[in-house]
Amino acid sequence: MIDRRAVRHFDFLLLLFAAALVSYGGLLIYSAHLSIYPEGVGLGHPLVKQVIFAVLGVGLTLTIAWLDYRIFGQMAQGLYVLAVLLLIGVLFTGESAYGSTRWFDIGGQQIQASEIAKLFMVVALARYLADRQAQMQSVRVFLTSLALAAVPAGLVLFEPDMGTALVFGAVWCGMVLMAGAPFRYVMVLIGMIVSAVPFALLVLISDYQRERIHLFFDPGSDPLGGGFNILQSEISVGSGGIFGKGLTEGTQTQLDFLQTSTTDYIFAVLGEELGLIGALVLFALFSALLFRGIRAASLSYDVFGRLIATGIVIMILFQVFINVAVTIRLVPVTGIPLPFISQGGSSLLMLFAALGLLEAIVLRHKRIEF
Amino acid sequence: MRPFGDRKRWRSPNQKPERERRGIDPAMFAMLRALIIVLFGILVIQLINLQVINGGDYEKRAEINALREVPVPAARGLIYDRNGVPLVQNSARFSATIVPGDLPERGEAGVYRLLSEIIKVPVSEIEQKVQEGITRQGPYSPAVIKEDVDRDTALVLMELEPHAPGLKLIVEPSRRYLTGSLLSHALGYVGPISAEEYVELESEGYLFQDFIGKSGVELSYESVLRGKNGKKLIEVDAAGRELKVVSERRPVDGSNLVLSIDVELQRKATEVLQQYAGGSDNAATAVMDVRTGEILAMVSLPTFDNNVFSQSLSNEDLSALIDSPGKPLVNHAISERYPPGSTFKTIVGAGALQEGVASPWTTITSRGYITVENEFDPGIVYVYKDWAPLGALDFYGGIAMSSNVYFYYLAGGKADEGFRGLGEDRVAKYARAFGLGERTGIDLPGESPGLVPDAAWKEETIGEPWTLGDTYNFGIGQGYVAATPLQMLTEVSAIANDGGLLTPHIVKEFRDSHGNLLQTVDKRVRSTVPVNREYLETVQAAMRQSVTNGVAKNAAISGVEVAGKTGTAEFGPELANGKHETHGWFVGFAPYNDPQIAIVVFVQRGSGGNDASPAAAKILDYYFNGTRLAQKPDGEGPEVTQ
Repeated sequence: MIDRRAVRHFDFLLLLFAAALVSYGGLLIYSAHLSIYPEGVGLGHPLVKQVIFAVLGVGLTLTIAWLDYRIFGQMAQGLYVLAVLLLIGVLFTGESAYGSTRWFDIGGQQIQASEIAKLFMVVALARYLADRQAQMQSVRVFLTSLALAAVPAGLVLFEPDMGTALVFGAVWCGMVLMAGAPFRYVMVLIGMIVSAVPFALLVLISDYQRERIHLFFDPGSDPLGGGFNILQSEISVGSGGIFGKGLTEGTQTQLDFLQTSTTDYIFAVLGEELGLIGALVLFALFSALLFRGIRAASLSYDVFGRLIATGIVIMILFQVFINVAVTIRLVPVTGIPLPFISQGGSSLLMLFAALGLLEAIVLRHKRIEF
Repeated sequence: MRPFGDRKRWRSPNQKPERERRGIDPAMFAMLRALIIVLFGILVIQLINLQVINGGDYEKRAEINALREVPVPAARGLIYDRNGVPLVQNSARFSATIVPGDLPERGEAGVYRLLSEIIKVPVSEIEQKVQEGITRQGPYSPAVIKEDVDRDTALVLMELEPHAPGLKLIVEPSRRYLTGSLLSHALGYVGPISAEEYVELESEGYLFQDFIGKSGVELSYESVLRGKNGKKLIEVDAAGRELKVVSERRPVDGSNLVLSIDVELQRKATEVLQQYAGGSDNAATAVMDVRTGEILAMVSLPTFDNNVFSQSLSNEDLSALIDSPGKPLVNHAISERYPPGSTFKTIVGAGALQEGVASPWTTITSRGYITVENEFDPGIVYVYKDWAPLGALDFYGGIAMSSNVYFYYLAGGKADEGFRGLGEDRVAKYARAFGLGERTGIDLPGESPGLVPDAAWKEETIGEPWTLGDTYNFGIGQGYVAATPLQMLTEVSAIANDGGLLTPHIVKEFRDSHGNLLQTVDKRVRSTVPVNREYLETVQAAMRQSVTNGVAKNAAISGVEVAGKTGTAEFGPELANGKHETHGWFVGFAPYNDPQIAIVVFVQRGSGGNDASPAAAKILDYYFNGTRLAQKPDGEGPEVTQ
């Protein structure tokens, strides 16, 4: 379905940065698992699984890139309904861990519903907003798009997974602005949300969230319970200093003071073992990747593609920001994986699928030029 | 807001750029790029704050997390009797504890339940003790849940320890006193360090959970017995499991003590004293080598089993022990002072000879009492009694028959007969010279200094002037003067060894943990009594006569010449029959010609002649004849004929 000559437009750099990030993450996963798998990398090592998923992910990227992304536009309504059904389904049949229900268990493989839903929602929202380019000043369109995002975000919030819900919100916000919605609409909405915060804090949020917010401000109140991870990840990152203690040399990581050190708290491993320098390298790689994403958006020859690319960039950006900010105690605890770095199959596949969409957009941007 | 408008010119009309490009502001891409930079910038600022500005602090906290310094306890020194009989054993004492910081984050209830089943302590109590532990000493010190877990339970806990993070079995060295109540006062006991002791001793390397000597030689030789704890720096994981030893300083075990006590003599002395103590609240005896100051036996009744302090002792049990009428925890041989009664006459006699107040031939007649007229009103006449009208007595007879009248004369004089006595001042001087009114300096804690009164003391303490009657009472060891049995033992030793006032000691040698001799405790002479040797020999002879032909006849034994002096000291208020309750005393030494040992026997509510003297005889008999007798099939000595 794609001109062979168009392959020269394939954004190899985008895939290269992603591969670099996955490899970087692989090193950290290896180090963080050293105490459990001291004899090295065998077939059962999580790293092997991660590599398999990365390879599958690249396959997914190429497949999606090869397809015309506009067929997703035609499937958008179906994808959206599927996303909502997945999120409802997981609430009833899903697996729980750490007090939250986020996973389907299919054949021993855990699938995180919100990962799939995130991407589907980006496509659906892009389709909706692209179709209504002429009516972006309309409050009705604005509110409908908000409702489209709010339904899955609300379901995710029920799991509860505050972090992913925030990502949904950020993605929607970026996409409507990119689609041309007036700034003032967004400002009014944000104003309303901010003024509702005290009310929400008192009434709406669950005890689980209230406790997390309390612990954020005072982790010492429960240093061995809920505050443990907050304190230990902060200590880990802080003790890494500028150059870090060296890969596999971090005492916090190697002596199991970090919990979920290969998923939500993998940045703490990086901070401890590779220090500020390691973090700057990570941010540089992410920035490069995201700038390639913006390039895809700017090259896109239609609004639909541009909005998808924007949505994906914002999705990855906010996941990175929230994950790292939690680890270094800038925001309250909320479990969210670090894109490309954290161990986890569904997250990795979703990200490579997103890259496939970006590639598809880049590949087709000059199709009409001869 | 249509910046792409002018681009239309560059495109062919059929490309429909107007529709496709509509609604996108390129400034949005710039803003998106800016957002990326701003968000990563925020993260970098916080990272610099954590890793660069405060990096050092976090590094320390990470170290505290991962490294733990644990003490390697030194083995406490052992204690032997003079013949090498072991008196104490180190054994293990198990306590089930929980280190709150090592409990699994969400699995603490499981650990509590497991522990609760094994040690039979309700979960609520475990929770409470863990909370108390956290508030008292923080989350990384073990909170004791149950002490004295038996060995079988301890083994179960030991097996379980690696699988239940937070659970910790503490194995503490404990002391088992092999002779039980026989040597409790001398050995003392150890106990957990108190908060006050900890504050005082923390700088010497004591730990919060340390044990420390509380009484007896366990206390007085704490620094020797204790050794020096080692230290081990270990790396632990988040569950508190020891991963590797980073560095270690080996402990130095405590030194062993060899007591001068002969445990067999101690046993015999205890039996004999129990036999003669009868209904007394307490009694004491001690035997000392007059040549070296070594204490060969020291008994205080009632006694207690010091092993009770090696277990967890409830407050009720402890207060029962403290409040028991005979005060079993008190070593009555050194910690309580009593009027010495007639045993004090040996001091007055020696002083009188030295001062020329009396000579061996000074003869005084006892009609059973003397009378003294009031200084200001001759109409008032005070009567001072003797225990019997003993007739004319020379110095030897005065002591041998323990005549009070004789010593009224020597101490207070008889002005109407022109006999000048020593006077209160000189009696006090000789009492002090013989070691009264001052601690003997024995290597045991809790010694009483006793009391030697004089005019100034009475004026100050009671607010009344000293009277002649006071001097009379002083002269026969009554009134205000008070001494510990041990003081009287060193006093009689000084008479026996021709004037050397020794510092008694109960530890003879220090040995290292392999049994090599480190140091011998030498004889220490506190002072030399200012009495000429010939006069001391006179007193010795008088004491010998007391046993052969006087009131101390019951102290005689076969084969060895015993010299001694009884005392029957009145105390307390006058009884209905005009008499007082009495303490029975005996001080003496043997053999008379070549003194080796001195002995003191004190029986509260007893008699010197009928209780203390025969008790002393049996102990001396065992000492001099016991080895021979012990080889007899029945192992019993013959009854002493009295």
